[in-house]
Amino acid sequence: MKPSHSKFAQDPHAPLLSIEGLEVSFRTAEGTVNAVRGISLDLQPGEVLGIVGESGSGKSVTAMATMGLLPRSASVRGSVRFRGEELLHRNERQLMPFRGKAISMIFQDPMTSLNPVYSVGWQIVEAILAHQDLSKEEALKIAIELLRKVGIPNPEDRVGNYPHEFSGGMRQRVVIAIAIANNPEVILADEPTTALDVTVQAQVLEALRAALSSTHAALLLITHDLGVIAGIANRVLVMYAGRPVEIGTVDEIFYDPSMPYTLGLLGSLPRVDTDGTERLRPIPGSPPSMIGEPVGCPFAPRCPLAADICRESEPPLRSVGSVDTGHLAACHFAEDARIRGASLFAATSSDIDATRGAGGVAPPESGLSFGHGPDEARAPGPGNYVIAEGFSPAGPGGYETAPDAQETSGDPVLPPDETEIP
Amino acid sequence: MSLPAGFTATDRAGEPLLEVTDLVKHFPVRGGKVFRHTIGEVHAVCGVSFSIGTGETLGLVGESGCGKSTTARSILQLVEPTSGSVRFEGKELTTLSPSEMRGVRRELQVVFQDPYASLDPKIPVGETIAEPLKVHGMWRGNDGNQRVAEVLRQVGLSPSHAGRFPNEFSGGQRQRIGIARALIMEPHLLVLDEPVSALDVSIQAGVVNLLEDLQEQLGLAYLFVAHDLSVVRHISDRVAVMYLGKIVEMGSRQQIYGQPAHPYTQALLSAVPVPDPRIERERKRIVLPGDVPSPIDPPSGCRFRTRCWKAQDICVTQEPRLDPFDEHHTVACHFAAADREVLSFSPTRRGSSD
Repeated sequence: MKPSHSKFAQDPHAPLLSIEGLEVSFRTAEGTVNAVRGISLDLQPGEVLGIVGESGSGKSVTAMATMGLLPRSASVRGSVRFRGEELLHRNERQLMPFRGKAISMIFQDPMTSLNPVYSVGWQIVEAILAHQDLSKEEALKIAIELLRKVGIPNPEDRVGNYPHEFSGGMRQRVVIAIAIANNPEVILADEPTTALDVTVQAQVLEALRAALSSTHAALLLITHDLGVIAGIANRVLVMYAGRPVEIGTVDEIFYDPSMPYTLGLLGSLPRVDTDGTERLRPIPGSPPSMIGEPVGCPFAPRCPLAADICRESEPPLRSVGSVDTGHLAACHFAEDARIRGASLFAATSSDIDATRGAGGVAPPESGLSFGHGPDEARAPGPGNYVIAEGFSPAGPGGYETAPDAQETSGDPVLPPDETEIP
Repeated sequence: MSLPAGFTATDRAGEPLLEVTDLVKHFPVRGGKVFRHTIGEVHAVCGVSFSIGTGETLGLVGESGCGKSTTARSILQLVEPTSGSVRFEGKELTTLSPSEMRGVRRELQVVFQDPYASLDPKIPVGETIAEPLKVHGMWRGNDGNQRVAEVLRQVGLSPSHAGRFPNEFSGGQRQRIGIARALIMEPHLLVLDEPVSALDVSIQAGVVNLLEDLQEQLGLAYLFVAHDLSVVRHISDRVAVMYLGKIVEMGSRQQIYGQPAHPYTQALLSAVPVPDPRIERERKRIVLPGDVPSPIDPPSGCRFRTRCWKAQDICVTQEPRLDPFDEHHTVACHFAAADREVLSFSPTRRGSSD
């Protein structure tokens, strides 16, 4: 084992990383965007916790808040503790001893997280010297070893190369080398393989596994790729509209999903190991706007099980099943969902959001995006809270057809201030 | 070079709709210290041949830079092929004048990847969809509006959406509008260049289902270009795998996914994560060493040999031809051998519904 970080070890019994009631909001011209609406999690040493969710679900903002990387305009509440020590609301100087040493971070795009004008060796050395009292020569030796560890061939020759001389996958491996340079106890990885091709992704995941086994670090892996989660995570937290909606072991989430959104995600995924004869089951509609505070369950407009109670009160995370295994789901009908399984969603091809009833309102884009690249979170707005006519909570087949009767009537576009979140 | 035996499309209607033969596209690389001149060539597409039958979907897969998008663009004559032949409905496209090509484009439409970039934000979507009719001089006022309403319905949207602007739609809806714009000309072949890559999975599924429905209703053929092997398996009848500008393996969906015979296809499939923890824990993965070589200076012989665990001397000196391996299954490898284990896993509970 590596030496313990005695200067952080305020409370030896506290979890490694503990997030409690984290809320993040941004004030924008359109209103307050509640990007994260209360997330709590504990990360134990050596654990791999996967956070899944679609664009705009708040998963990246959670990571940024943990690292203290959000802009000043963000309003952050709650608590993020590393070994019992509060990290929120510290200034840059106070965060320095933690960043890179206690917690390090791997971002999605290695071209933007590496500096193009410095050699990769220098960038690793810089990270090492930030926390360790070594000579440059010693640090360079460690840098070469780190590059070898993450699978860069001929590290002695490549250490002097610049980022542009590396391919995308190699750059991401360099980023991993920097992340483990100071033997961190927690690694936060935000979509570390999303920009990469599958064979390169396999190489980078291999490097990440090697990094974990050499540092014994815990990993908080944020991704939208359920396949990657299935391969590496011990526990999974599913996020929707800024809140965890289900949390459990990787097997519980994949084999016993109990929140309709989780079921929908799994059912909408084409699988490479099954022949494509079975129709996919999309989740109708789009994720809600994060502007304002939703009333009721934010997934209700897309949920086949939604009933009146779902539109009135947002369900808290509750234990699933009779035995408390730590498997929690935020659904008024978690037991029903669990029994219904993947058949909960219909194998439809229409877009229910577009064929919703008279209240169908498409508000202007907020221009705010927390995801990466073109994402789904930008366009949908408060209108998504409107429940579609012809939307049958009865389940399968409920929206198989999109009859003309569902066409919107009247003024197709209302100004945004006339729309209300029910 | 004529097509090798066993290479003909598994065509349902006899004559192939699209026949691509020895398609080559090289891009010049310019440089030089004083005067800019051509210092090399990017070998983007190097002798690609395939055909697509009426109502059929050919999935063209490969990783970034393998030439799959350039192949699609060369077929559409959006980039001029260096050499080779593209025959569509019996017509040679590479020698057509731009105005003759415009006529062909009625039957040969394209849907691009990014639904945010491919729609003009300043014009209502109804006009965007109607534009092809106007360009082709087929716009007849009322009929035209009815046709726009009809295609909007076909893609699962509402005709009343015609007056709205792109920013009022979600990504999935925008991609449906892009499909509607392609459909309005009643094409026979749609070239889909990464049509669902920019979408979240729960929304992607609806667009995939839509493409399947449209094919069934309208008898469309698709050239489905994608890097996502799961989606390609779901939607394709036949699949061609590209590596560094060449097709390395082509066959039916069942052959490519069930008994891949090229080492690259095997490595590619073994690297695709499966959303099933038990399978992920047990499966064996082929992790390829190194990177894809530069297409400016591709390796001699077999282009995959620098990363291949089967490589021998012959792979350096002699380029493997895309030869028949099985019925309608062609493989470009000196040591082709079917691996039936790559994606066949012991039965596991798949989700809680089973």
